[in-house]
Amino acid sequence: MTSKSPKLGGYAGKHLHVDMTKGECKPLPLERDFALKYLGGQGFVSRILYDRVGPTTDPLTPENVLIWATGAFTGTLWPQASRYVVAAKSPLTGIFGESHSAGHWGPELKFAGFDTIIVTGRAKSPSYLFIDNGVAKLLDAKDLWGRDTNQTEEIIKEAHGDPSLRVSCIGQAGENLVRFAAIINDYDRAAARSGLGAVMGSKNLKAVAVRGSQDIPIAKPDKYLEVIEELHRKMLDSPFTASRAKYGTTNLVELMQEIGRLPSYNMRSGVFSEYQKISGEAIRKHYLVKPRADYACLQRCGRYTLVKTGPYAYCGGSPEYESQSALGSRCGNDNLESILYGHHISNLYGLDTISTGATISWAMEAWEEGLITAEDTGGIDLGWGNHESVVKLIHMIAKRQGFGDILAEGSYRAAQKIGRGTEKFVMHCKKQEIAGQEPRAQKSMGLATATAARGADHLYAFPVLDEVGFDEEIGIRYGEQYLPEIGDRLNPKYKGIMVKENEDFCAIVESLGVCKYGTLIPPVLFYEDIVAAFDVTVGVALTEAYFRLAGERIVNLNRVFNVREGIRRKDDCLPRRLTHTPAPEGPSKGQVVELDQMLDEYYDQRGWRLTDGLPTLSTLHRVDLEDVIPDLLTHGIELPD
Amino acid sequence: MCVGCRICEAICSFHWEKTLNPKKARNRVRRVDPGLDIVVACRNCNQAWCIEACPEEALYKNRQGIIMVNSKKCRGCGACVEACPFGAIFIHPETQKAIKCVTCGFCTKYCPVNTLRILTEEELATLKQQKVIQAECRNLLDELRVEEESLEGEQ
Repeated sequence: MTSKSPKLGGYAGKHLHVDMTKGECKPLPLERDFALKYLGGQGFVSRILYDRVGPTTDPLTPENVLIWATGAFTGTLWPQASRYVVAAKSPLTGIFGESHSAGHWGPELKFAGFDTIIVTGRAKSPSYLFIDNGVAKLLDAKDLWGRDTNQTEEIIKEAHGDPSLRVSCIGQAGENLVRFAAIINDYDRAAARSGLGAVMGSKNLKAVAVRGSQDIPIAKPDKYLEVIEELHRKMLDSPFTASRAKYGTTNLVELMQEIGRLPSYNMRSGVFSEYQKISGEAIRKHYLVKPRADYACLQRCGRYTLVKTGPYAYCGGSPEYESQSALGSRCGNDNLESILYGHHISNLYGLDTISTGATISWAMEAWEEGLITAEDTGGIDLGWGNHESVVKLIHMIAKRQGFGDILAEGSYRAAQKIGRGTEKFVMHCKKQEIAGQEPRAQKSMGLATATAARGADHLYAFPVLDEVGFDEEIGIRYGEQYLPEIGDRLNPKYKGIMVKENEDFCAIVESLGVCKYGTLIPPVLFYEDIVAAFDVTVGVALTEAYFRLAGERIVNLNRVFNVREGIRRKDDCLPRRLTHTPAPEGPSKGQVVELDQMLDEYYDQRGWRLTDGLPTLSTLHRVDLEDVIPDLLTHGIELPD
Repeated sequence: MCVGCRICEAICSFHWEKTLNPKKARNRVRRVDPGLDIVVACRNCNQAWCIEACPEEALYKNRQGIIMVNSKKCRGCGACVEACPFGAIFIHPETQKAIKCVTCGFCTKYCPVNTLRILTEEELATLKQQKVIQAECRNLLDELRVEEESLEGEQ
């Protein structure tokens, strides 16, 4: 019956399997049933990872599987259609690891004829994968090893004489197996979290270069433009588009300061007195060259910045909010040029700026407490705000030099190694550093951080509507009956409902290969738009209920992956500082995160057992995942009824 | 100023071919510097080097002054691609014939930053935009020439 069904639009229709050990590249068809059940991106990687790695897989060995996946909308005219997902078992968290990025690489992979790349094994010597219009081969990368990400991209383009090639690669950090190494594509777009750059490094895979001239077929061309024009109109009419075009996310520094959610001094506080010096307005006024859009994006939040002179001179990608807060306020650093430059070299080395800044700020707090001394750091002064030390440590982490070698393990492992009571200053969940979202100022963000499948993360649920003033949208989306409590950022009530719904929706967004900005704030585009666009693009009319269930399925799949690794309710936690120490100052003064109360509500919404966070059998049946139950049993995991 | 989103490429391929494929687009967005993107489309030069280069006489100017490809004559040798100083004419990946922008203006409707416009020579001159644009580009390029310290210096 499958073979008689018409070919799906939107998808390229092929997986690419790459065995680094044998040096083999093999295309295999994308099955229709698989495509429609898991949709793409996050859905694809979740299922493939569940099936192919498990508790015995060490993340940095050849047995780990590294997967790039695009979605049905990647490379189409959906208003922000640039995204891809990359995933593996994470060397930072030891559980489900995924990361997302934009740019032009994901669309080009589809033009080159593939929806996914599934990499196993380890090459004998440094190699890069070259995918040229449906044909893939591994090429020698000895001359690329040791190069930064921008040099790598330039050299590959020159070698093939084609500046329109698209490259996804690692810098020195990934080669040196830094546990929070990023994968960088299109010079400065980062799939940063989960340490997947180190997985690439462990496979001796330096880069994946792609180009192609194949069609992304559109199933209903007669109706396509009508639907797309409406989506574009909505996006251009949204007030957030003008703001994104002007500031990107850089002005979140000002907005987060206003509600006390800008982490400073290793999350001791949610306000930073010098915030104006590192603000979006300061970047725009003094350093902005121009905004730049990723593929088919109308909001153009990417930007290019220029520091003309001095030790921090550079021209390239601008930091966005997360980098400003991680390398700035979090380290007590108000030197904006050092933040811009620190972000730039993090891109060159291929480092996650969030974990980099958070790990350095952990060390700074331990220094202030006298638990880390010059003897540990090799003489580097770690006083708050010492921007020269921040920049120096970025170099040392990427190269694993001196004290940088300890920090390259991430703050959790570094604290385990150093001990002396430094463990209590690690701001993490499941060993991944918490992003720039001080959760005492917004309770939903605290819950989202604790439940995210890849460890501490703001994007897995991305609850933003309760930040301030979206009551109307909140009422429509989650139900009027939950107002006003659900819209109050400081009230823990109904946040389990909000985070559950958001996680499901985010899973769909990341599976389709589109951006969260247009879909989550406030949303501009929502389920009905996805239904319409999926019909004309792929040619299959699915309902909103179908997508909602598919989102739940993907979240449950991530959960059972982590359950198999031993994750339970006890691990869905936050540092004691955030749940027990009241915020010391600012608009959210006196607040703590009431995590237990919110978790109860969340598990109840999910259909997971309250005591340990295990999905129930009936939940897995409901989301059509009963096939994982026997596998869990073989691992000694008996799910509750 | 172009932000490099490439919607014009995708919409062009869809307009002419009912599919999404930038390599079938009649225009291209080129990143010419870290901070500069330019949309390349045929400007229908007065002295059209592509026409002079074509050994098959497949290229000609129509009555509106637009350079056209006679695909019956075109053999896809690529001489026009070599000759065009702007990189504004391409070989279609399937038909293997030359394709180029014929100034239909369809893409201009979808440009999110209204960078794309169809202007006559006179309009361009009247608006004095050419000078302004050139000056802007010159300034920008000068600004962008920063001496960047390489990471090797830190070792």
